[in-house]
Amino acid sequence: MDFSVMFQQLCKGSLVTMQLFIIVLPLSLILGILVMLGARCSIKPIRWFFEFYIYILRGTPLLLQMLILFYGLYYIPGIGPHLVITSRSFACTLAFTLNYAAYFAEIFRGGLLAVDPGQYEASKVLGLSKSQMYLHVVFPQMFRVALPSTANETITLVKDTSLIFALGIEELLQNATNIVNSQATFVPYIFAAIFYLVLTTIPSVIFKKLEKKFDF
Amino acid sequence: MKKILSLVLAAATVMALSACGSSSNSSASTAASSAAASTASKDTLILGCDVNFAPMGFKDGDNVVGFDIDLAKAVIEDKMGKKLVIQPIDWSSKEAELDTGKVDLLWNGLTITDERKEKMCFSKPYMENKQVIIVKKGSDIKSKADLNGKNVVMQKESTAVDAWKDAGITANVTELKDNVLCLNEISTGRADAAIMDSVVANYYLAKQADQYPFVILDDSLANELYGIAVKKGNEALMEEIQKALDETISDGTAAKIATNWFGSDTMYKG
Repeated sequence: MDFSVMFQQLCKGSLVTMQLFIIVLPLSLILGILVMLGARCSIKPIRWFFEFYIYILRGTPLLLQMLILFYGLYYIPGIGPHLVITSRSFACTLAFTLNYAAYFAEIFRGGLLAVDPGQYEASKVLGLSKSQMYLHVVFPQMFRVALPSTANETITLVKDTSLIFALGIEELLQNATNIVNSQATFVPYIFAAIFYLVLTTIPSVIFKKLEKKFDF
Repeated sequence: MKKILSLVLAAATVMALSACGSSSNSSASTAASSAAASTASKDTLILGCDVNFAPMGFKDGDNVVGFDIDLAKAVIEDKMGKKLVIQPIDWSSKEAELDTGKVDLLWNGLTITDERKEKMCFSKPYMENKQVIIVKKGSDIKSKADLNGKNVVMQKESTAVDAWKDAGITANVTELKDNVLCLNEISTGRADAAIMDSVVANYYLAKQADQYPFVILDDSLANELYGIAVKKGNEALMEEIQKALDETISDGTAAKIATNWFGSDTMYKG
């Protein structure tokens, strides 16, 4: 078996995996914060919409969401054929962002709940404005509580990228499968596991450092 | 903290920008998918292929190769003069890919069945194939009947499953994602037999004879025919392809490709 070709293919796959990860992570974090704020909104219809969003996107498999987004929209009577997403990568990015935003929204909500009400009162007493209070008192504490769960989701995101094979995109795991099938050997899967470990170590290390920084 | 953050952001921006440009897979499939907008008389045809189906279509490094790929190139590029783009797809989604216009044709050891004929427009058959039974050398399974009550594996969503259902044998069946996994099940002893296309079986057993000391039983499950499929309603395109395919067969190019891959002219003579 040609090891250099295998490494080359696995590296190419890792690149696709990391590209999706790098784009989806910040987008879903930001959208997650927005969804969380929306779900706490005092305007009832907005709150209901975002709570429904979280319910649907956490309650169905990511794979299914990808398939519906890419293939399913076409079948909507009338407007279907015009709703088609032509780019496979875009469909994947969209599906992942929407899905992970729902999970991050709930994680951040948990973090927010953990901030002592006394903090809000103390800020008021000290004369801090609302934005000062949120930016300097509330969010840092919320972030600290949310860090372990966020780290979990981030590492899961790296591995969930293996689902994009369903839309025909070739990433790390699929490239390993290609070699397994053309050479009839199981070895590429072992190396794929090692590659995934390396890829997930990077966010693990970064989050550990972040936890130390937020240990105030 | 700020330094780490800005470094990470900078790295992320670089990666994201390179994602927009370089990744050959995603940009090729973007170009391919946008070309799939109209039908018959365009210059690029997108072929949906399961690139884990040796020897019909599989990957060799960066390239998709295989008997069906070579034949498709001969028919579409040489005879029809159009550009051929190979789009790897998940075989379970092949109907959706064809239906929603993401690919123009399926040409990958696709067996013609009545069920599939209702959803897709098929060409005339170009190759014959059998669903065969593979067992370990020295196994006491010698025929279909011996499979009763044994552990059998096959690729899911393939015609091996249909052939099995028609055969009416009772056994413990597991459906797996691809054929190499099926062969591994026999090696580990978790399965007593595997059902797969004779074409695939011959290829793997020849390629990795020491790793797979298996035999193919003479008793086969079903005879089937491979064909090319386009979306139902795209008959005009199918006529063009059929004409080009007939020419490729009559001038001997197809026979040459078949001999290259299988050692003899295995084209279906009707």
